[in-house]
Amino acid sequence: MWRAALLFLCFTTGLARADTVYVLNSGDASISVVDVTTFAEVRRIPLLREAHHIVLSPDGRDLVLGDSAANELIFLDPTTGEIRRRERISNPYHLEFSPNGRYLVVASLRRDQIDIYEAATLTLIHRIRQRDKPSHVAFSPDSRWVYVTLQGTRQVSAVDLSNGSVAWVQEVGPEPAGIIWNRGKLLIGLMGRQEFVTLDPATREVRTAFRVGRGAHTAFPAPDGRTLYATSRVDSRIAEVDAETYEVRRVFEIPGGPDCIAFDPEGRIYATLRWTGRILAFDPRTGESAQARVGRSPHGIFVVPQREGVAVDFAYAAPGAISGSRPMAQPVVGGGAIVRVAVPPTPVAAPAVATEVADRAPAPTPGTVSATPASATAPR
Amino acid sequence: MIDFIQDQYDRLTGWLFEALLQPAMYQLGLMNWADEAFQWMDFFVFGVIQVIVVVAVCLPLEKWRPVERWESQRVVQTDVLYTLLARLGILPMLGFILFYAASSRIEGMIADSGFVPPTLETMIPWLREAPLVALALYIIILDFAEYWRHRLQHMFPWWWALHSIHHAQTQMTFWTDDRNHILDDIIAAAWFGIIAVVIGVPPGQFPIILLVLRLAESLSHANVRLDFGRVGERLVVSPRFHRLHHGVLSAGNSGKNYGVLLPVWDWIFGTADFRRDYYPRTGDPDAPSAYVRGGWLAQQAMGLRQVWRAITARRA
Repeated sequence: MWRAALLFLCFTTGLARADTVYVLNSGDASISVVDVTTFAEVRRIPLLREAHHIVLSPDGRDLVLGDSAANELIFLDPTTGEIRRRERISNPYHLEFSPNGRYLVVASLRRDQIDIYEAATLTLIHRIRQRDKPSHVAFSPDSRWVYVTLQGTRQVSAVDLSNGSVAWVQEVGPEPAGIIWNRGKLLIGLMGRQEFVTLDPATREVRTAFRVGRGAHTAFPAPDGRTLYATSRVDSRIAEVDAETYEVRRVFEIPGGPDCIAFDPEGRIYATLRWTGRILAFDPRTGESAQARVGRSPHGIFVVPQREGVAVDFAYAAPGAISGSRPMAQPVVGGGAIVRVAVPPTPVAAPAVATEVADRAPAPTPGTVSATPASATAPR
Repeated sequence: MIDFIQDQYDRLTGWLFEALLQPAMYQLGLMNWADEAFQWMDFFVFGVIQVIVVVAVCLPLEKWRPVERWESQRVVQTDVLYTLLARLGILPMLGFILFYAASSRIEGMIADSGFVPPTLETMIPWLREAPLVALALYIIILDFAEYWRHRLQHMFPWWWALHSIHHAQTQMTFWTDDRNHILDDIIAAAWFGIIAVVIGVPPGQFPIILLVLRLAESLSHANVRLDFGRVGERLVVSPRFHRLHHGVLSAGNSGKNYGVLLPVWDWIFGTADFRRDYYPRTGDPDAPSAYVRGGWLAQQAMGLRQVWRAITARRA
């Protein structure tokens, strides 16, 4: 472990950055603040009960996280970690702001409800009852629709935000969990299967996208816009997937139950390892990795860049901004969705690094995550 | 040191979950409940540790200065089963499965009413910065509520018919702590649920403190001639203090020393008996023989019959 830490230290200090990683420890009601330079937890912020997911506010000013069992929404200063304010709302499990910044939608897993709030005032606009376990939410880029996985009933629910009604419900497969918008379709992880499926919201056609391993969970778009990283909780893997073709390029075996993923501006991966109380830092270009101990059952994670010229909302300015649970119609200058001026999409550069690593699987040495060839997990 | 223990604990539970439990849940199509399963496994492992610690502390004490010695301890075995069912999470898990849908509906209805259940920390904001003080306050409030639940158990005939199972044990040991009828446990959970709506539920991130509290509750039932001294007897419920509550003359509505953890409630409400030299025989002379010598199932079945009798007798 110390060699892994040293290795990680070498390549992080070389970049002279001191990014901060916020990790929500769902099992012991706290936030771990991890300094990337030393890759050690530098601070533990106490919460009340059970926090799961964390997102950036539309204006890029606050990190917003839900303490579901305490019925609290917490607004955190991304730079200092100071809690700016708390708002009492019902059971915030998974949450996301709409791309236009107007709505905050909360999936309440425990109470079988989807709550639609006005983001600016946190006024509850609509409460929609669901049959069983609304789990994760994703918007359409035009902010007209929000899609919610219903874990208990194998379905995805499409809610029309203009009137708060459920327009349709589509069966997608057993135990759907994570959901993101990607290139005009929804990409959904099926925890009861090995596959991710796509759901076309126009035709409601469901198709197998790719296979990652048992307990397919959630996919996350990398900043480069070309790659998705998808997790499997039972086989404990992270798969690197072509965002356009859904070809699985590589699969990384990550013991510990990888769950949520966040990226730094260079595309390094930070993942919570739910069952072992750790986070993983991993550079997919080199295969180098390290782990740091955090709290119990870490779930949500967010990387705040602490360096000159890179804002906390950098992800919304990157090509990858067009995918995700809050997909932008196009990347936005400076990142934030509401007040910034939109610019044309950044042209996708040649995948030099990706090609290189795809051809050269790194050796399984300490501090290196082993990869299996993509063909081993390609969809049938 | 605590970090090291926590790390080893995380590794153990992580391995158990990844290698055994989660693959089985996947095969059974139960991944929908994976997060809950991880919490239950935590409950189970923590329960095993609790039982080991309680045995390691209480058994030597019972050997050292027992109040009573018995030829056979067969009836104690039933209490061991009660303890394992309760502390290893088996009964709580059954309750969770049976009542999950109902509790979701109730919580949903509460949310629909516009009421967002508070926590103690939302009512007393400075407690956010002092989580240990908050936990202490939760313990005090819950202990107060437990004192009154316990008094009501002795007050209402139908409730006493259930609670008498706990008192019927004539060979009281540290295993007796969890000897309760399932229906009584359900009522206790509902009682706790109402309190949770009013003040929230206490944070569960202090396992060592919770371990000590459970140890104190088990110790109070131990067959040991032990008191905590003139001052200590008024601070924490001792084996001597609680044994007097289980004495044959303290059954039903004539009880004394109802406190579970803190004797102060008995002190305030005039039900305390601080005689330090008194270690009575335990048991409920009016309890049916199944309560005394029956196995777990026989006691549960008899409990239902006794409740029915108590209710119908009152109507008649």
